[in-house]
Amino acid sequence: MDLIIINIIDGLIYGLLLFMLSSGLTLIFSMMGVLNLSHAAFYMLGAYFAYQISLVIGFWVGLIVAPVLVTILGALVERYGLRRVHQYGHVPELIFTFGLFFVIEESVQYIWGRNMVPYNSPESLNFIAINLAGGSIPAYKVFMLLVSVAIFVALYYVLARTRIGMIIQAALSYPKTVEALGHNVPLVFMGVFGVGTGLAGLAGVIAGPSLTTFPGMAFLLGSIVFVCVVVGGLGSLTGAFLASLLIGWLQTFAASYNIGAADILIAMGYEYPKDVYYHPWRDLWTLTLPQIGPILPYLLLILVLVFRPYGLFGRRDS
Amino acid sequence: MAAEALKLDNVKKSFSGTEIIRGLNLSVGQNERHAIIGPNGAGKSTAYNLITGRYEVSSGQIFLNGQEITNLQPYEVKRKGLSRSFQITNIFPKMSVFENVRCSLLWAMDYKYSFWHMVGKQPELNENAEKIIEELNLKERRDTLAGVLSYAEQRALEIGITIAGGSEVILLDEPTAGMSVSETEYIVGLIRKVTEGKTLVVVEHDMGVVFDLADKISVLVYGEIIATGTPIEVKENQAVQEAYLGAAMEDH
Amino acid sequence: MANGTNNTMSMSSVLPWIIAAIALVILPFVFTGGGSITIMNQIGITIVLAMSYNMLLGQGGMLSFGHAVYMGLGGFVAVHVMNIVEYQEIWLPLPFLPLVGGLVGLGFATIIGSFSTRKAGTVFAMISLGIGELIAACCIIITVFFGGEEGISGDRTMAPPTFGIEFISQKEVYFLIAFWVLVSTFLMYLFTQTPVGKMANAVRDNPERAEFVGYSMRWVRFVSFCAAGFFAGVAGGLFAINFEILTELNLNLNASFTVLLATYIGGVGFFLGPIVGAILFTLLQTVIGLKTDLWALYTGVVFILTVMFLPAGITGFFAMHLVPWHLGRFGMLLKPYAKIFLPALMFVIGAVGLTELVNHSRHHGDEVLMSLFWVEFNTKSAVPYIVLVLLTAVGFWFSRLFAREVKEAWGDATFVEGQGR
Repeated sequence: MDLIIINIIDGLIYGLLLFMLSSGLTLIFSMMGVLNLSHAAFYMLGAYFAYQISLVIGFWVGLIVAPVLVTILGALVERYGLRRVHQYGHVPELIFTFGLFFVIEESVQYIWGRNMVPYNSPESLNFIAINLAGGSIPAYKVFMLLVSVAIFVALYYVLARTRIGMIIQAALSYPKTVEALGHNVPLVFMGVFGVGTGLAGLAGVIAGPSLTTFPGMAFLLGSIVFVCVVVGGLGSLTGAFLASLLIGWLQTFAASYNIGAADILIAMGYEYPKDVYYHPWRDLWTLTLPQIGPILPYLLLILVLVFRPYGLFGRRDS
Repeated sequence: MAAEALKLDNVKKSFSGTEIIRGLNLSVGQNERHAIIGPNGAGKSTAYNLITGRYEVSSGQIFLNGQEITNLQPYEVKRKGLSRSFQITNIFPKMSVFENVRCSLLWAMDYKYSFWHMVGKQPELNENAEKIIEELNLKERRDTLAGVLSYAEQRALEIGITIAGGSEVILLDEPTAGMSVSETEYIVGLIRKVTEGKTLVVVEHDMGVVFDLADKISVLVYGEIIATGTPIEVKENQAVQEAYLGAAMEDH
Repeated sequence: MANGTNNTMSMSSVLPWIIAAIALVILPFVFTGGGSITIMNQIGITIVLAMSYNMLLGQGGMLSFGHAVYMGLGGFVAVHVMNIVEYQEIWLPLPFLPLVGGLVGLGFATIIGSFSTRKAGTVFAMISLGIGELIAACCIIITVFFGGEEGISGDRTMAPPTFGIEFISQKEVYFLIAFWVLVSTFLMYLFTQTPVGKMANAVRDNPERAEFVGYSMRWVRFVSFCAAGFFAGVAGGLFAINFEILTELNLNLNASFTVLLATYIGGVGFFLGPIVGAILFTLLQTVIGLKTDLWALYTGVVFILTVMFLPAGITGFFAMHLVPWHLGRFGMLLKPYAKIFLPALMFVIGAVGLTELVNHSRHHGDEVLMSLFWVEFNTKSAVPYIVLVLLTAVGFWFSRLFAREVKEAWGDATFVEGQGR
């Protein structure tokens, strides 16, 4: 029972982290029609910037400054890169953001090296917050949870209560009309891209100490984030939110329950082969849930796209 | 007497609760030249989109030569012999004029999804394409990319793509929109020439063009046909004058 | 008629292929240096793969992030077949092995294409990404077939000899690959000339209108997708023959990205684009890859710059010069081009030099001597830094200055009376 509670909390933290990326991705997609394939690269930049700052000044300054830096960088990328490519059409835009991912990843390796960097949580948060019989939850994770929830609330407030939020919401449902009203000025594009990537940067800042900061972190999380937004339905914030939580729990639970296919096969009445390592079905017999955990999101993605090409909450015409 | 070329039977369409087409009844006889007129937002383009399968109808039935075509996919409607043009030019911009026309001929000439014919070695296909380009007066632009043609030329190509498939029923959507007087003359002449012996339905705002081309006119207002008849009948219809035509005629 | 008489047409359309065939035969006797045949073999395989990729991206407008999957699967099965042949359970001469790979690629493309081609654009791209991740992950899980991290290997020389050839030397393999490159390229060219090949372009340009001329966009995409899968599988078969080993690295996302990179840099809008891209990419990879460990960074930067400034790729860059050439104004461009060449070169050398220098001092800090562009110097002194910064700055400044002239000259050289630019 305790393990379940810990998993629920862990999955929630992971899911909200995913949502911090997928929300920005969804906003950018809804406003600009571009799926920003470099999104996770900005997440990684957030972690590395914060690491660099934490070396010089400290964690808490990094928490504030690093996302701002990522926001500025994102806005510059939109202004001097994406806007230029926009005229060539949709596919080149996708290719551009993909190439950007590649360049950022390589640049990070160039600047900070190929190994992980020691970006750690601050001393003040190095204690166990919740102790349960089956395990414990460190204070830093509680902090992550609080930040994620704060961002979630702030995002909700901005979207539901402020003028700019109204425009963004309108753009989600009726992009053409908003454009006709003269709102989709380049500045809004730049702003949305900047804020979206900034959110990803913030996610990187708080995830860095917990999930380790290394050049592969963008790739590792990046494709999962795409799964979230596509499964949720491109352009749907609700969809992105639910899909992020779903995938967060899916992966957390799959990783912590060591159920093997052998158990199931034996329960079904098959006999465990003697020389399993030479058995033609050896892969099936040795298959475990943690092993297939990482590919579950992709299976989900393909299934959803086959049966609901517009995602769980997507609109037909998006 | 064969069945009507095109028949709409109480077709309705609503978008998120709002009824745009509120029970459309229309019948177009074989070889008729039928114009649909009506104010902006009356649902003319929506009606075209329903007929050609771009949108699904909410209720009602559509028949082509007596065969039901309700809610078929656009390509199925085309294969049954109905072809349409678009109000906003809708061509293949990165292909030459010749390729544009030739592509529109492929299905009608039964090539289907063939990957064993070489299009360059099909004399009949290429001759037909050349013939259509000549009819369109686009011979000098044969190898130009469609995307860089002038507006009037693109509109001509648009009609060319529409008629190339050899469909018996042709739907044109505002073929002269945004054209100068001389360009309009050219396009009207072209339409007359290429739709010879076919059934033509045309949505048009230019009343001169409508009275010039059509044998019959239907007036569409707020998703309903309020009158159908010969040009003279329609012109004299009281309801039509009140709803729409009066203002338009004064403008003209 | 514009096609002229049938005879001259077939002559002029066959001639390039004859030239290509002769060139392929002569090449190994021209480039005899160590390793050059190995590189040519690699180029050949990349050409087939890149061309098959362009059937999707360039001809059909489908952006795939998982094309290497079809090559990889074709290759894996080909190695397995090679092993079965070795134990003489079936009889199959080696030159037919790529066909096996092709059929496997075709089979998987049929299955996956049946649902992935329903939509183009972002949805198609995302499905291809998901499939790519999934199959790559399966490599580690299904060890019976994929062999886990070590992959699986075979021995090509154990197949029954074909006309007495046992394919022991690289040169023999070269001719086998060259044959398949020629055949595949020819078939892929023919495909572009068929009704479905033409409609693939139409669907790319305007899917909706394609439906209104009678074609289901989904079917058109599906046929292209299957054909692309087949030729990717052929490339996989060739890979299996050449390297005799396949691992997860051959079908993961990175491998797919590489295909996209090579094809795009070459130019997706042109039939020859992927060939140019494959040759250039492989050459740079093998030549520059040996000289620097920052090869991937440079590739990424070149790729981004291509997307931003040369969306039609290198082939497109040359193709667009046909306009001033035909207008007889090519000469107008020569002077501004010559003028910008030196500063541009200075800028590239400076920027690359600085990047390398910083990299060197950080990772090989104990080695004081460094060689860059055939110049050896002491990294501890400030001189190389100053020189490189100056080169970069001066090169950049003059490049920007002269770029304006190039732009103006280009405008003049391509201006046509009465036709908006």
